[in-house]
Amino acid sequence: MYRTVDGEELFIIDAHIALWDASKENQLNNHGEEFINCFYDYHRNLTPPEYHWDKKSFLKYSKETLISDVFNKGYCDMAIFQPVPLTDFYKEPFGDIKKNDELVKQYPGRFIGNGSFDPRDKEKGLKVLEEETKKYHLKGVKLYTAEWRGESKGYKLSDPWAKRYLEKCEELGIKNIHVHKGPTVTPLNRDAFDVADIDDAASSFPNLNFIVEHVGLPRLEDFCWIATQEKNVYGGLAVAMPFVYARPRYFAQIISELLFWLDEDRILFGSDYAIWEPGWLIDKFMDFQLPEDIVEETGSVLDLKVKRKILGENAARIYDIDIPRKKEELKNSPINARGDRSIV
Amino acid sequence: MFKIKEVYDRLELVTDPEIDRPLPELGFIEDVEINGKSVMVGFRLPTYWCSPNFAFIMAEDIRDEVSELPWVTQVEINLIEHSESEKVNRGVNSFYSFEEMFSDKTDGTGLNELRHIFKVKAFYGRQERLLRYLLKNDRSKEDILELTKQTLIPFTRNDRTLEELMKSYLNIREKLNLDNSKTVKLITDEFGKPLTIEQFNDHLLHARRSRLTMEFNGHYCQTLLQTRYSLS
Repeated sequence: MYRTVDGEELFIIDAHIALWDASKENQLNNHGEEFINCFYDYHRNLTPPEYHWDKKSFLKYSKETLISDVFNKGYCDMAIFQPVPLTDFYKEPFGDIKKNDELVKQYPGRFIGNGSFDPRDKEKGLKVLEEETKKYHLKGVKLYTAEWRGESKGYKLSDPWAKRYLEKCEELGIKNIHVHKGPTVTPLNRDAFDVADIDDAASSFPNLNFIVEHVGLPRLEDFCWIATQEKNVYGGLAVAMPFVYARPRYFAQIISELLFWLDEDRILFGSDYAIWEPGWLIDKFMDFQLPEDIVEETGSVLDLKVKRKILGENAARIYDIDIPRKKEELKNSPINARGDRSIV
Repeated sequence: MFKIKEVYDRLELVTDPEIDRPLPELGFIEDVEINGKSVMVGFRLPTYWCSPNFAFIMAEDIRDEVSELPWVTQVEINLIEHSESEKVNRGVNSFYSFEEMFSDKTDGTGLNELRHIFKVKAFYGRQERLLRYLLKNDRSKEDILELTKQTLIPFTRNDRTLEELMKSYLNIREKLNLDNSKTVKLITDEFGKPLTIEQFNDHLLHARRSRLTMEFNGHYCQTLLQTRYSLS
């Protein structure tokens, strides 16, 4: 819960967090090392110095650290795991649904543990998705279309097998499809410049929500264009968020473009923890105001009502969370407020 | 000394396709070595994972631009610390195509289509900057749509910013094979069709999206490179 100086309360959902293990012991090869190095550069590049992590802590952190950063220090009421397995780079999955589930169970009501699938697993993967849906009550999946798999360097959402998986999602009640379309972390020709497959999938599956993580950066313009065509396309702010500190002017331009092309109901806050911590991101975001010239040019409004939607209400809506009821449920939860009572 | 300068002048003509800014300005050129008639250009990118197709485009462009110098008989490209360094270097230095080197990462359309897509983005980005500048300086939309090279040039005489904006816009028009003759209307779409006053506002909004994306990517990539190589 975030409280403004005027006593207004905002219910916060961080729609993009991870508990990862990129330790030396878990790295399968050089790519595993380079992958986390790249994350670490993202981290150092856009984080205020007082929130810099040392490399060792960044490679692998404990559940307690996560709870403390996201809930005790991070204002969040809820957080959504978006696991990325990356099993071509790491021995145990980089983001692991099983480990996430331990936290989901340990702190009831606090987490949504999403799954993932990879259409290249074909029939076998469809079965796994069914089993995992039963076991983990999946409402959403994170897809990493650029993930390497042997010789293959990725897939598209418009591939025939991807369509079969999306049909399966519809059948199983998984309605939120988070797609990583962001700064290219693994090299792939197609993914590198194309968000067109989202367009195709979103119009073929009007009952599913497609949350484009990192708002399609570095293809913001293509993403905005697609999102104006398809009303079931959302923008996740992970990666864009830290610009609120590092380059506020760019942040203002990006957010006003998003408000212009998407509207205020389809933008979701995500920290991309542990690359960035939600605490300082939210502090800076709440203090942030659009510069006058940008307001004049775009007509965008970023007031408390809009911030409230971005920071929690929009994610709550697509994940069927009734906020007043959830607040009651969480009243007796051990993780209660920023710094008040530590549960770790 | 002069030879180095000549090489760097050629490198100024090579842009990152996503960002539309010259490689030296972005810090992507790591070093240049000259040995008689042969030139080695080392370049680096903000991450180990930057897309090999863009890396390949830049490497080819470096090779071709530097080869334009009359005294150069051989150019060697050395992309460092990248997941596909070896393949990009071997391919570009032996004149293989992207398809030949990365058959698993292409759908057969080659890099030409990609080059074109990004030229078009750069076209709208540069045009938007020019339009925005003219509007800010109280030129009416009607006036702007009538502009030709002949009518625009006199205004650039006492205005360096406008001159730069015009040059860069004319340059990308040329790359798209658009007509730059003196009396042809300059504010067109990517196919050379002049805009109408009814289209103006919408057009500007779309062009702004392109410009903003390129600027954002430029910023992101440049600072990431600085972080990666501890520059400041």
